[in-house]
Amino acid sequence: MSPESTLYKGKTGQWAFVLHRVTGFLVLMFILLHIIDVSMLNFPRIYNEIHALYGNVLMRLFEVGLLFGLVYHALNGLRVIMIDFFPGSIKNEKSVFYGIFSLTVLLTIIGGFIILRPFFTGSVH
Amino acid sequence: MSTAERSTTRPGATPNRRSRQNFETWSWFFMRISGLILFFLALIHFSLTHIFNDVTTTTVSFVAKRWANPFWRVFDWLLLSLGLLHGTNGLRFIMDDYVRNPRKRAALKAFMYALAAALFVLGTITIVTFKGSLAG
Ligand code: HEM
Repeated sequence: MSPESTLYKGKTGQWAFVLHRVTGFLVLMFILLHIIDVSMLNFPRIYNEIHALYGNVLMRLFEVGLLFGLVYHALNGLRVIMIDFFPGSIKNEKSVFYGIFSLTVLLTIIGGFIILRPFFTGSVH
Repeated sequence: MSTAERSTTRPGATPNRRSRQNFETWSWFFMRISGLILFFLALIHFSLTHIFNDVTTTTVSFVAKRWANPFWRVFDWLLLSLGLLHGTNGLRFIMDDYVRNPRKRAALKAFMYALAAALFVLGTITIVTFKGSLAG
């Protein structure tokens, strides 16, 4: 088979696929880093110091991005599982994809509001 | 979506060999089952550490309180293991698709597997050995 045939992943599903791949990759990179920062738990001072960084704006924005990636990957993953395990269960793939994408954006906005709020109100240092 | 066909279209796969084929079928199934479990583990974990609690409050003492209950140690260990297995296996698909040079691909895979294995050991040690008495 030609390389092209393996890289081509379909028309409508193509964007869903690309985004699934990118978000899966980014979440994995985050997990790899996260295991290292959590391993500092046995050195409480270092852990708390590193951890305080999570509260600054840049890291909070990063966390909102992580939320987007995780929610999209999770919801789209469920869609893939439905299609594979129950063929025909999803009638209109295109609108299901748009639904998933909209839900991801909505949840990211709500979650993002909660994550970023302390920065604006200053209620949590 | 053509994901269902991955096991036969992946360039690294040799469809004629039985063991290879069995492995890819198993891998396909594993991605779906682990995905279903991760759906709950990952989203609950994120909600607890970023939504229902602010990140800045998830200090050593926060973890000490949570891990006082073995349930959460098991929960976090499952998230660690399944996340790494699912993620690294997903990364294997990605490397098969984009790293076309066989030697580079083999080297990169060996590196990523070793990294994931090392982090699995590190994460497991952290969850098992954390005492939390020094909490501050
Ligand atoms: C939250 C629930 C999750 C669900 C429902 C889910 C589901 C899936 C599914 C169904 C696949 C497709 C496998 C295939 O095409 O054969 C997949 C791929 C993948 N997942 Fe997840 N997953 C989840 C969480 C995660 C997490 C936490 C990570 C990172 C550690 C991750 C990383 C990946 C990667 C890198 C791929 C490969 C993408 C590709 O081949 O294009 N996933 N996931």
